[in-house]
Amino acid sequence: MKGYRKFFLNKFFWLLITIVFAFILNFILPRLMPGDPVAAIIARVAQGMSSSTGMKDVYEQYTKLFGTDKTIIEQFFIYVKNVIHGNFGLSFSQYPRPVSDIIHSAIMWTVCLQFPAILVSWILGNLLGALAAYIKKGFDKVLMPISIFISNIPAFGMAIILLVIFGVELKWFPTSGGYGFDLIPNMSLKFIWSVIVHYQLPFWSIVLTAIGGQAIGMRSMSIYELNADYVKYSRFMGIKDKTIVKYVFRNAMLPQITGLALSLGTMVGGALVAEIIFSYPGLGYTLLNGIMGQDYPLISAVTMIITIMVVMANFLIEIIYGLIDPRIRAAQLE
Amino acid sequence: MRKKFLFFLSILIISGVILAACQTATETEEVPTDVTSEETVSESSEEDAGTLPRDETLYFNGQQWGTVVCWNPYSSNCNNAMALAQQDNARVPMFETPYLYNMLDGKMYPLLADGDYEWDDGMTQITFKINPAAHWSDGTPVTADDVAYTWASHVKYNTQFGAANKDYIDTIEALDASTVVVKAVLGDDGKTINPLLVQAYLSSNYVIQKAWTQKLEERTGEDPAALMADTAEDAVYSGPYHLFFSDDTKVVLVRDDNYWGQDSSMWGKLPVPKYLAHVIYKDNAAGTTALQAGEVDVSQQFNSNVQDLWLKDNLPISTYLEDAPYNIGASLPTAYFNMDSYGLDQVAIRKAIAMAVDYDTIISNAMTNQSATFTQVPRSLMNPTPGEQALFDHDAVADLQWAGNDIEGANALLDEAGIVDADGDGWREYDGVNLHYAATCPNGWSDWQAAIEVVAAAGSKIGIDITTSYPEWSVYQTVVTNWPLPETGYDILMMWSDGAGPTQPWGRIRHLISGEFAETTNNWNGNWGGYANAEADELIQAIPTMTDEADLKEAYTRLVEIYLTEVPSFTLMYRPQAFHTVNESVWTNFPHQGDGTNPLVPPLDLTDGWSIAGLYNLTLVNE
Amino acid sequence: MKNALEQVFHSRKFVAGFSIFMALLLLVFVYPILIRDKPLAIIGQGTFFPPGIYVDVYDSLNSTTYILNLDDAAINRINKALGDQQRQELKDWLMLAGVPEDQIDINNTELLLDLWEKSYDEALMIPGLTYAEQRYYQRLDDSLEGLLSIEGVVIAKEDAQTGELEKIDSITQFDYVNIGEVTNVRVLPLGTDNFGRDVLTELVKALAVSLQIGFVAGIVATLIGLTLGLLSGYVGGILDDFIMFITNLFTVIPSFVLLILISFSIGQENRGAITIAVVIGFTSWVWTARAVRSQVISLRNRDHVNLSKLSGHSTFHIIVNDILPYIASYVIMALILQISSAILSEASLSILGLGPRTTDVPTLGLMMNWAMIYQAHILGKWWAYFPVIMTIALITFSLNLMNTGLDQVFNPTLRE
Repeated sequence: MKGYRKFFLNKFFWLLITIVFAFILNFILPRLMPGDPVAAIIARVAQGMSSSTGMKDVYEQYTKLFGTDKTIIEQFFIYVKNVIHGNFGLSFSQYPRPVSDIIHSAIMWTVCLQFPAILVSWILGNLLGALAAYIKKGFDKVLMPISIFISNIPAFGMAIILLVIFGVELKWFPTSGGYGFDLIPNMSLKFIWSVIVHYQLPFWSIVLTAIGGQAIGMRSMSIYELNADYVKYSRFMGIKDKTIVKYVFRNAMLPQITGLALSLGTMVGGALVAEIIFSYPGLGYTLLNGIMGQDYPLISAVTMIITIMVVMANFLIEIIYGLIDPRIRAAQLE
Repeated sequence: MRKKFLFFLSILIISGVILAACQTATETEEVPTDVTSEETVSESSEEDAGTLPRDETLYFNGQQWGTVVCWNPYSSNCNNAMALAQQDNARVPMFETPYLYNMLDGKMYPLLADGDYEWDDGMTQITFKINPAAHWSDGTPVTADDVAYTWASHVKYNTQFGAANKDYIDTIEALDASTVVVKAVLGDDGKTINPLLVQAYLSSNYVIQKAWTQKLEERTGEDPAALMADTAEDAVYSGPYHLFFSDDTKVVLVRDDNYWGQDSSMWGKLPVPKYLAHVIYKDNAAGTTALQAGEVDVSQQFNSNVQDLWLKDNLPISTYLEDAPYNIGASLPTAYFNMDSYGLDQVAIRKAIAMAVDYDTIISNAMTNQSATFTQVPRSLMNPTPGEQALFDHDAVADLQWAGNDIEGANALLDEAGIVDADGDGWREYDGVNLHYAATCPNGWSDWQAAIEVVAAAGSKIGIDITTSYPEWSVYQTVVTNWPLPETGYDILMMWSDGAGPTQPWGRIRHLISGEFAETTNNWNGNWGGYANAEADELIQAIPTMTDEADLKEAYTRLVEIYLTEVPSFTLMYRPQAFHTVNESVWTNFPHQGDGTNPLVPPLDLTDGWSIAGLYNLTLVNE
Repeated sequence: MKNALEQVFHSRKFVAGFSIFMALLLLVFVYPILIRDKPLAIIGQGTFFPPGIYVDVYDSLNSTTYILNLDDAAINRINKALGDQQRQELKDWLMLAGVPEDQIDINNTELLLDLWEKSYDEALMIPGLTYAEQRYYQRLDDSLEGLLSIEGVVIAKEDAQTGELEKIDSITQFDYVNIGEVTNVRVLPLGTDNFGRDVLTELVKALAVSLQIGFVAGIVATLIGLTLGLLSGYVGGILDDFIMFITNLFTVIPSFVLLILISFSIGQENRGAITIAVVIGFTSWVWTARAVRSQVISLRNRDHVNLSKLSGHSTFHIIVNDILPYIASYVIMALILQISSAILSEASLSILGLGPRTTDVPTLGLMMNWAMIYQAHILGKWWAYFPVIMTIALITFSLNLMNTGLDQVFNPTLRE
């Protein structure tokens, strides 16, 4: 494990630098967008106002409040100070609601939707791919083109098709919302069942689109592994197929894990399309609205969360890789 | 072996953490509703806690987009469509105004007030009485003091409503516990500057309880910003409904059975639905699907091809009018010419472009026929309601009104003015320079965008190059409201105009062409093209104080003449004040044309102005 | 090279994908020659005309009429207005109005209509009938007028001066016209969209534009990824660390969010098709760079490379001559995948409203966007969005098939 420490420190160092730069970038990027967010708020305030002096006062009031009259450097330091205290600021587009409140109520829906969806599609896809590689023959010939085709239907396309067929036409599933339109959230069985029912269509639209990609990747890797020398050698040696298969798939899974990590990392922003089409509560839609409304604090906070999750996922995976596969460690230190 | 174990252990830990977090998701959903959760438990104890009974709830869509932020009637940022809308047709389920405006007959009906209001002889102040039966949700009576204190607070904290009206309203005083005197700001000649706007205050702005306001002032230390940012979930109200539940996915109001309005001097009974609920949909499509499924009873959305819902799908859905335009047009989305753009100072060019646009296509494609055509209601400055249409002499302006798609006429006009295509490249020149303009509206406003496309298409038919551009709303509004407009990109710009209200059509005309707003910055009022006409300004100044009907008719007719001759802007379509589509699968007896109500109940989703009377007429569908 | 090409075209998957792709390209080039209409021309006054053959009614009056005596013509006419459901509803209303049930026979059309005419009164307020139902019965009544008559209609012209009607023609119920003889017939295989534009023509043009965007974006992304991957893989050291660092930055800020931000910032005026393509290219090179880098790392210690190094060739020369040819196959596959993902990105951007300008060119994503805004998917106007989804799927499908085929050729172990 000696080389391991050096490997670990190297990775950790880059992790820190990436986070710092990402933080700065996350702050700057939204503020580079043209247009004045305060003016957007004034638009709402000013509808029906007859005098323009009144408007000007209100405008100045808000500019001061949001600090958009200070230079970017000043704003940045104020921002850093606040973040350290856990205060992400007040949202512009939903003023005076605090950003942390907005994120808090939305993030759980997104995570609960995305995390199982990604896991399930990963597991199912890899299983299918592995089976196809192992069984070959008919199963493979039929499965491959179908899964390629389905995975090529764009995400929104899949969502719309599912919505129209199962929601609008067959009426098997509800067409929108996170839970029943006539329910108030509580812990009753009825509510939980309603959440589960509303969960189905967005869940399956994400899973179906992602399975195909996973299956193809896993199949290629498995085939590659199945033809490797050590497999042939083991077979000649008389080792049972079952044992060989375990090793084969473990090796084949490695690149897939990287993919899983990346998907998990970006899951917070990834359900955007499903959320819009199914009117499902979540962070993706909040982010989009934030961008349209130039809500700097909200955008910065959400992208920060995404960033941190991706970085952590990456880091975790690289460490695990290093643990599992000694080759990687050695290659990295070359 | 060890490595495999570590691998699976880490996966297990991660999944365990996430699943545990998911469990708390359903619990944390209740956290944002802290104040209301106690009410939830106590009020719904008799029914299945957690379900709104379908036959006691009226569902809305199209009003509330995004989460409700606060319940504060002093604030302008609450994004609380069901409870807070202090506008011409004020929304009165929770907070109430002294009078209710009825856009169908133009009259004001008393709500908190008792009887009509009166101007004094010199027209310098208005007096009205408060209904003795009116009381707040905490039992105390509504007094004239409340009205006075509300106005004083608006001025003191410079709220949007104070800022908008303080140039016209001087003070509001309580003569005694039930008499209110509204004193107008007087000009140098001792006459009220604008009596129309003073009157409008009575039906547009809420009366807020003095005691509660003082409580609010105490806890925010009388700081204006803090006062207006307060979430005010404890607000004291006089209306029939109040907050029951609110989160990211829906907002629900519940009826207060002690509502004063059940007194015989007012409605005589309680409004029929016990709950008013509004599910927050992400976009129009989700809302329409819910309407089709019967999950929404009243829809304020623009549903394209709404007639297909009952003609083709046979759903029990209907609008106020049986046939096109399905709703009562009230506002006039307008395309303004930038007076500073090259060539647009020429009347011939402006009028030719306006004449060439195919309005029928705009109305059938962009509005899917939910607007009257310009053949049915020839253009003027007035909306299609009979009240406004009666205010000017139709015959006098008949020659000036064009129906659109008049390519021949437009070409003739341009040729006569000497604006021809001299160099044969297909585009006309003015003083040797090719004419090209950019027609623009904000991105994402689909029916406006579709309309602008048609405007641009007209240009090529008359030899003027018109292209389109759709900047984001945040950029568009910043540019358009600050003169001068950029040199390119904003030659023909689309903006709204006023709808129906107690100051109309005067308010709309003022906002369209009054020189007060030309070439100003931070201009949210109108006349964004920078047009000025001295005669028009004089008439606009004079109208509020005119009382003789014949004089008024002459003035309005003259204004229409000026507008249709000079063409500083042109109306693109008629738009309803609010869209009003109803689904009769649970409730029935919604307002519809010929429903026999007296006074007529306007189709404003049963919440705005006099339309709230509709809530008292609803019945369940008996099957 | 020649051998490689031969093998490529032997692979079944590649050929399948390639033929689909070529078919689409052919469509894109040939269709505008046959149908010369402008794709963005608004031809319909009204939204979402269903697919079908549109016959100019005025011209059909002037075409030769043929008299055909068909047995089921009258029955079809009656059943269209008075199907089983409508008969049941007539019966329901009549019963609510107090007509005893035994007098109503829904199968006897004449009797039923007779009874209806006698009993139906528009102004009659039946308790329990919602307003929507009342209006429904009014419309039903209107549609039943003159249903059983066998008279024809008269076509009259209105005199411009007097306003009187002069008869010009009369039509019986047995007159038919031959569609081929009518002057103005327009086939709209996919109907019109919400603007009133011909969907098929628009779709073909949109396909062309989306392919363009895909190509440009794919090439930009591959070029950037290739260069960075080569440099960082071969040169290594600090340059490698630095480029990896930049790559990581781009990874952690999700490319889609970045795309939205940039697209929003450059504003609508600047969002031409090519600009969007370049922006997409700029945000999606990460994966290519990584993949190229790992390939180059494994190549750089091969014998022939070491040989070149010893021979004193410059870095540039080595990269171009010794490394590039070995990863060429990989790069081509990456390019194909980049193209397909770029087309998808553009479609997703346009759905959010951040795609190229509407008036210049249609793109697949924009067509979807407008169809959704005007709620085509809810109103059942499948022709406005379903062909678009299928086209996107087809393009990406064919590209991916080609990719898989190529993969099999270059990686013999994957062959069946």
